[in-house]
Amino acid sequence: MRALHPFTLLAVAAALPALAWILPAPAGGLATAGIAFCLLGSRGLRRGLWPALVAAAPFWLFLLLLHDVRTTLAIGLRISTMVASFVWLAAVLAPDRLVEATVARGWSITAAYLFAATLSAVPMLRARARRIVEAQRCRGLSPRGSVANRLRALRALALPLVLSALHEVDERTLALEARGLVPGARRTPLAPPPDRVVERVVRWGLLLLCLAALVRRVA
Amino acid sequence: MTRLALEEVTFWYPATRAPALREVSLEVAAGEIVALVGKVGAGASTLLLVAADLAPRVTGGRLAGAVRRRARSGIVLPTPWTQLSGMAFTVWDEVAFGPANLGWPGHEIARHVDHALERLEIVSLAARDPITLSGGELQRVIVAGLLAMDPDLVLLDEPTAELDPAGARSMWRLLRLLAGEGKAIVVATSELDAVPDVADRVVWLEAGAVRAIGTPQLLAEDAACDDGLGTTVARIWRAAGLAPPYPLTVADAVQRWP
Amino acid sequence: MSATLRLDGVGFSYGAEAALRDVSFEVAAGERVALLGRNGAGKTTLVRLVAGLLHPDAGTVWVGGWDTGERAPEELARRVGSLFQHADQQLFARTVREDVGFGPRALGFPVHEVRRRTEEALDALALHAHAEQHPYDLPPALRKLAALAGALALEPMVLVLDEPTGGLDRGLRAQVADALREHAERGAALLVVTHDLAFAAETLDRGIVLDGGRLACDEPLATLLGSAERLKPLGLVPPTVAALSVALDLSGRPVRERDAAHALARVAGGGPGL
Repeated sequence: MRALHPFTLLAVAAALPALAWILPAPAGGLATAGIAFCLLGSRGLRRGLWPALVAAAPFWLFLLLLHDVRTTLAIGLRISTMVASFVWLAAVLAPDRLVEATVARGWSITAAYLFAATLSAVPMLRARARRIVEAQRCRGLSPRGSVANRLRALRALALPLVLSALHEVDERTLALEARGLVPGARRTPLAPPPDRVVERVVRWGLLLLCLAALVRRVA
Repeated sequence: MTRLALEEVTFWYPATRAPALREVSLEVAAGEIVALVGKVGAGASTLLLVAADLAPRVTGGRLAGAVRRRARSGIVLPTPWTQLSGMAFTVWDEVAFGPANLGWPGHEIARHVDHALERLEIVSLAARDPITLSGGELQRVIVAGLLAMDPDLVLLDEPTAELDPAGARSMWRLLRLLAGEGKAIVVATSELDAVPDVADRVVWLEAGAVRAIGTPQLLAEDAACDDGLGTTVARIWRAAGLAPPYPLTVADAVQRWP
Repeated sequence: MSATLRLDGVGFSYGAEAALRDVSFEVAAGERVALLGRNGAGKTTLVRLVAGLLHPDAGTVWVGGWDTGERAPEELARRVGSLFQHADQQLFARTVREDVGFGPRALGFPVHEVRRRTEEALDALALHAHAEQHPYDLPPALRKLAALAGALALEPMVLVLDEPTGGLDRGLRAQVADALREHAERGAALLVVTHDLAFAAETLDRGIVLDGGRLACDEPLATLLGSAERLKPLGLVPPTVAALSVALDLSGRPVRERDAAHALARVAGGGPGL
């Protein structure tokens, strides 16, 4: 799936949530959520399904508290589709390929970089959080054991994680400027991902499908 | 030909009262290596940011005086970890990040990247993922990324901090080679013993101001030794109670020795 | 229980790539050991093994009588103080003082003990002037010092430090050296990864060299650092003092500045100005 053109991946990840909201509930949501979770399943349990389930669970809980079962099902499936699509996208979309693809289309490099950096922020934060937790454990803070322990460890992690990330942004900005990432730069695509005719057809097809569904819904 | 000229430059970081640089004047010519020495916080890093046109343009703050740059500059900052583009899954692409941003044609990029990898002796790392590299390897990759952009003015902040001694030696040799090709080089370093063999001139910074500018012989003078900036050989000579002028390097000492 | 730190046939691999193979050595209480070798020799991996962040694939790492493979890092923190390469990510608190006290607080020491350890560690590295600053407001060199103070405040039986002097000027390096000597005198075993052979020569006594993940040599720095032929294949270069001793044929081939100055003064007939 990583071999697909980044725009195709984006189109799929956008079309699924769109259809989830447009198609009549709960069948539409069930179908889109089904597809999204199937896609995720291909990434494995730990890296794909698990994070999406964890992220979607609180929504279900709140919905159940606020609504009846029918509404919960309708909205829950839609939200699950959104969550699953995003997690899938973050897993399969390689930021560098996205930059290459957008640059090849003549986008400005800074806009492309900003977009891609948002996607790559998750793994980078995860790596940073791991290093902070390691250092804290080496100074005696236990992240295990009772709920109180875990909460304390989480609190000790949150602030340094955010602060150090912000701090690093400053240094990184300097480095990126120095390496030519300046507004208005015309970057040379190094290896623009190939865009096959089939994929273009699929993307247009998805767009038409969404439009058709919308028209039918409104009519 | 002058590549960089600072005239009476004073610089304040945002929201600070005391300037980080005070009335610094300095000219750097093509083919010349200038070493910045001083204590931590003396202003060497700030001077490099100003020379690279990153301060105050990107850092914010205020600058008085004039900076003239007749060259495209490139800078290597002290911590290699924060300088990765985050957009490359191989070392080759990482090194190509800068040149690609300059909009060069593909074959030009490839030529410069390959050449830079060879010069830093990291051709064998080309296919590795940058995030799996050690500190020393990463430092070489970042320097390669700078050289691949072919700057005329090369600015380096502690370029050997992560390198093993043999790696540090190659780095210093490389700088001499680059100067021989006409690049102007300004390098901040705490590796004082390397300075005599590498630098043409030494700028001694103290609390943001230039305390002295001269040949590396400066690092054998009493004043520098008093401030912890003498080379090891000069310090030993002085501590042994031998008369000045002190030798700068082991080679000097051997010549001086009966 | 003899050695404070003992490695017994330790091996470790990242996937298929072996980082350490069959490494064995002991460090006694109060001993000051440099861990040397070229980039990628396995030094950082060894540091992480001692801190308990990695567990060996083969062999055992013992700290006191503890098998580090069976202990969590937070438990080992009672015995091991560590400094890693990314010093920035070892600072958590709003002020340097609070950060230095992080370890003793997390280990549950009483308030007065936390305070004593914090102030002593700040003293040892002359950080009092910066104690109320936010760690990120310090230049990188001082951030490294703050992280080191945090490790010292644990008052551990083993201090394992990855490049404690990178980017430090001579004054700060001397401060680190003094602090480390003091902790060794109090009985800590020091294992210091460093490329800075001059610092190693001045501060430490014994050198362990890794090459390609194997233990290539283990001997007093005084003899090791004088031999350019033996250092070269290990990616090392004699520090200036050792090179000078050899070049001038100083008696005893000193590797420390002070000793070299004395030897030089004796030959030249002048009085040492130390």
